[in-house]
Amino acid sequence: MNLDRAYLGFYLGAVFAATLIHDPVWLACGLGLALLASGRKAMGILRQALFAVLTFNLLISLSYILMAWLQDVSPWVTLIRLNLRVLLITCLTFLFIARVNLFRALDFSPGLTFVLGLAYSQALTFRRAQDDFRLALASRSLKPPRLIDRYRASAAAAAWFIEKALHAATQSSQALRSRGFFND
Amino acid sequence: MHIPDGFISPQTYLPLYAVAGVAWVYGARSLRRQLDADALPTLAVMTALSFVLMMLALPLPGGATAHAAGIGLLAVSFGGWMGFMAISLVLMMQALLFGVGGVTALPINALALGLIGSFAAAGCWRLLRRYNESVALFLAGWFSIVLPAILIALVLGIQPNIAHDANGAPLFFPFDLSITLPAVVLPHLLVGVAEGVLTVLGYRYFTRLRAKLAR
Repeated sequence: MNLDRAYLGFYLGAVFAATLIHDPVWLACGLGLALLASGRKAMGILRQALFAVLTFNLLISLSYILMAWLQDVSPWVTLIRLNLRVLLITCLTFLFIARVNLFRALDFSPGLTFVLGLAYSQALTFRRAQDDFRLALASRSLKPPRLIDRYRASAAAAAWFIEKALHAATQSSQALRSRGFFND
Repeated sequence: MHIPDGFISPQTYLPLYAVAGVAWVYGARSLRRQLDADALPTLAVMTALSFVLMMLALPLPGGATAHAAGIGLLAVSFGGWMGFMAISLVLMMQALLFGVGGVTALPINALALGLIGSFAAAGCWRLLRRYNESVALFLAGWFSIVLPAILIALVLGIQPNIAHDANGAPLFFPFDLSITLPAVVLPHLLVGVAEGVLTVLGYRYFTRLRAKLAR
């Protein structure tokens, strides 16, 4: 078994364990261990994880505080447990992303690795193009764009992505055929 | 719409992994039969398309934005299984390469958005297109968002009942169905309208392009 696959197994096991532990103290210990394992990247991973969970968890936490206040129960243990668990799992995920090559971890299935690799590279290209479209609209608008302009921009972007996707699928398929990929 | 990690109990996600696993194996076989040698690249590129459609912000009046998913468009253009597999791959990519969503929520998200969403859209399209194509496309897009939202609200809402401590305090998602159903489903009735419009316009554009490419 390669190292990346072992890390994938370890990551999945750690996430599973984090959903079995309910004591906030143990969850905090787990978070400490995850950050310790992150080494020099610990602060970056913690910041990334906090940023990723902030909006959703803040909304849930504030709503729960309100509900608990209306029902006259203490919300704190539940909230600490919930937020620690979410933060722990998110830190584990970012640590996994930073350390592990997912494509090597999944190389037991050539089909899955191929599809994931192609989809990932296309997704990165599309994401860059999406950023360009967003910046282009912002740079061409002296005032905040009107609703109709934003609709037009979104529609143009969607049309571009659909066209690009169709061409890319045809191109990839032809490239694979010409190289005898499906004959092996 | 999809659920992040840490809010779903193992009593929920483990059985759902088993269900999703069966669907993934069946879906992979079904795609291979349907599309032959083009299956892999088409699936990969449609996954990327779905990924970027999820990033596209659909402006709503008042300055707010909603995010479409492209589930309806994928399902009516390529069929339910392609939609399911592409959405599953997007969710897997988001969870393991971009840190969005998560592995404990993956089966629920995949079954709700991918399986229910895609097959609701494909079924709607197949059933209604003989009466009115535009209405069928719009409803395909609308149902592909609203039905998954109902399922996700149900899964979230049962968490306090199936996972709580000795004092009855929730261990995972803390709100029950009386809160999750209106909180999740009502906004998605509106997001569904945006998805419906995207499906109508996207499908028309897609069909024109395909015809142009075939010439």
